Amino acid sequence: MSPALLEIESLTKSFGGVHAVRECTFSVSEGQVIGLIGPNGAGKSTVVDLVSGFGQPDSGSIRFAGEQLVGKRPDVISRLGLIRTFQTPREWRNLTVMDNVLLARRRFASESLWRSMTQARRIRRAEDADRVEVRAILQRFQLAELKNERAVRLSGGQKRLLEFARIAAAEPRLIILDEPMGGVNPVLGARIGEAVGQFAADGRTVIVVEHNLPFIEKTCDRVVVMDLGEVIAQGPFSGLRDNPRVVDAYLGMDQSHE
Amino acid sequence: MYWVSIFTEAGIFAILALGLDVVWGWCGDFDLAFYGYLALGSYMTFVLAIGKPVPPVKYIIGWHLPVPIAIVAADVVVVGLAAIIGAIALRNLRDIYFAVTTLGAVSALYLIVQNYTPLFDGFNGVYGLINPGQAALRLTYNGYRIVLLVVVLAILFLAYLLVQRLSRSPFGRMLRAVREDERAAAAYGRTVFSAKYRAYLFGAALAGLTGGLFAIFISAFNPSAWTPQELLVIYAAILVGGRGNPRGVILGVFVVYTGFVELTRFLPSPASRPEFGPSMRQILIGFLIILMLRFRPEGIFRERPGVDREPGPGARLGPFRARAAATSAGSPPAGPAVAVAIGIEVQPRAAEPTDAGEGLPGRPSRGAPRDGHTDEDRGPQ
Repeated sequence: MSPALLEIESLTKSFGGVHAVRECTFSVSEGQVIGLIGPNGAGKSTVVDLVSGFGQPDSGSIRFAGEQLVGKRPDVISRLGLIRTFQTPREWRNLTVMDNVLLARRRFASESLWRSMTQARRIRRAEDADRVEVRAILQRFQLAELKNERAVRLSGGQKRLLEFARIAAAEPRLIILDEPMGGVNPVLGARIGEAVGQFAADGRTVIVVEHNLPFIEKTCDRVVVMDLGEVIAQGPFSGLRDNPRVVDAYLGMDQSHE
Repeated sequence: MYWVSIFTEAGIFAILALGLDVVWGWCGDFDLAFYGYLALGSYMTFVLAIGKPVPPVKYIIGWHLPVPIAIVAADVVVVGLAAIIGAIALRNLRDIYFAVTTLGAVSALYLIVQNYTPLFDGFNGVYGLINPGQAALRLTYNGYRIVLLVVVLAILFLAYLLVQRLSRSPFGRMLRAVREDERAAAAYGRTVFSAKYRAYLFGAALAGLTGGLFAIFISAFNPSAWTPQELLVIYAAILVGGRGNPRGVILGVFVVYTGFVELTRFLPSPASRPEFGPSMRQILIGFLIILMLRFRPEGIFRERPGVDREPGPGARLGPFRARAAATSAGSPPAGPAVAVAIGIEVQPRAAEPTDAGEGLPGRPSRGAPRDGHTDEDRGPQ
């Protein structure tokens, strides 16, 4: 087994009297696709926020490639090679599809105010190479025809694809997808599954927070199950059906509702 | 000469508006302290250039620097003040909270300047920058005012080129991403505060420069010259011209400013009510803002996002030449030929993604294209 890329240890976070995350511990190996599942309110999204810097834990440690993430700002964590999504697509609405993906290339050096004033031409030339790559990425996600369209005018499904195009352009080491299948039809779902598979094939590590269990079963190497802020089980998906705590907390509940 | 004066003032305000548009249009921060930067730039230019105060007049510094140097030095002070206000207001505050904080800052500045006379002689203000350099240039009074207009327009043009360049640069794109969605911008590695802060200082630098030009233009400056209402006109101008579009912003200033100054000249102004004209102007500007927001919220020229052109044959053709190419090819200007012309120029929107199936509509979710460029590139009709 390859060394852990992300190590979460005794992570705890409460909001007022509510323990959103309690002593949460798990790790993710490089190149794995991990499913993070659990009923609503289990603390999955809080874990995602804490890992990506959008919240600070009360205690515990998060190590990414050996580096401590607790106390770091989201932009700093992102620059270390971690990209997360949000439950709803957060495209930059009034920018074009092309600009949305170009921004995800993250050429921070050319965004300097001074260099933008003095070296405009050199920056533009350097960007041309990026544009070629971004066009190919847009082609892959069937957005090539829409590249000069404002992102706000895309359909819900196209916005999902744009999110994935941005991730592909960012080339991160770790990707955290927060409910990528929310409100997605089966055809698009298959495309998203392919995209996740492609990320894994490229050697990227993926964490998927999702309620759609067939999707998790199909795409994930390993699953971490949370309930009431705690990790109650982890391992391959197939083993979870027999775990009474999981059945009780999640699967059992789901079945009883159907 | 009347028109020279009007256009000089409009030109100065256009530079101010360009700076304000970087802060409000690009970053989305509704800054109410902005007029204070013009005021401080003006005051500092005075006290750095008009020499020692003669009692009972009191003000700080009292140097006799050449005016251009005084303006630059004053601008440095302005950026310094913006660095303090921005550091407080931009760190965590957004929207109305940011606006209120900046309003508080400019109100404090106003009260200090008005009541603490040793600073800029309180309510009397500072004066004495009467056509600096007129004798050295051997100009008549009128000739000087015309030269001033030319200088202001030249600086406006340079400011426009600079702002336009920034607007199209990765810096401008990044600021707009921060404006559109801060969390997503942070998730993709952008330091939101630093981005907004740099833009804020850039905008303040333009405002400080405007203050220096304004000092030469009106040759006296006191607190009655910078009430918060002045800023309303600038915001209205940006809104009318097109927020986020430097060309639109300049047009907006000339339309709103000269238009309204001229309009209100023809209003009756009864001697018993001297404030009728100016008040009417405020009301009309209020109406204009409402009408624009109702019927064309994006302004006359809307913000233009970058258009990506494929390299290759035809890519460098402008819309008109692309059109000419299509028609000169002998085909009637309809159907496929036009589609080709459109395809070359802007966006091939013809093909649906075929392998996506019914689940993936290939069209934008809302009907007809609204962008200026797509409309005008429809081809001859």
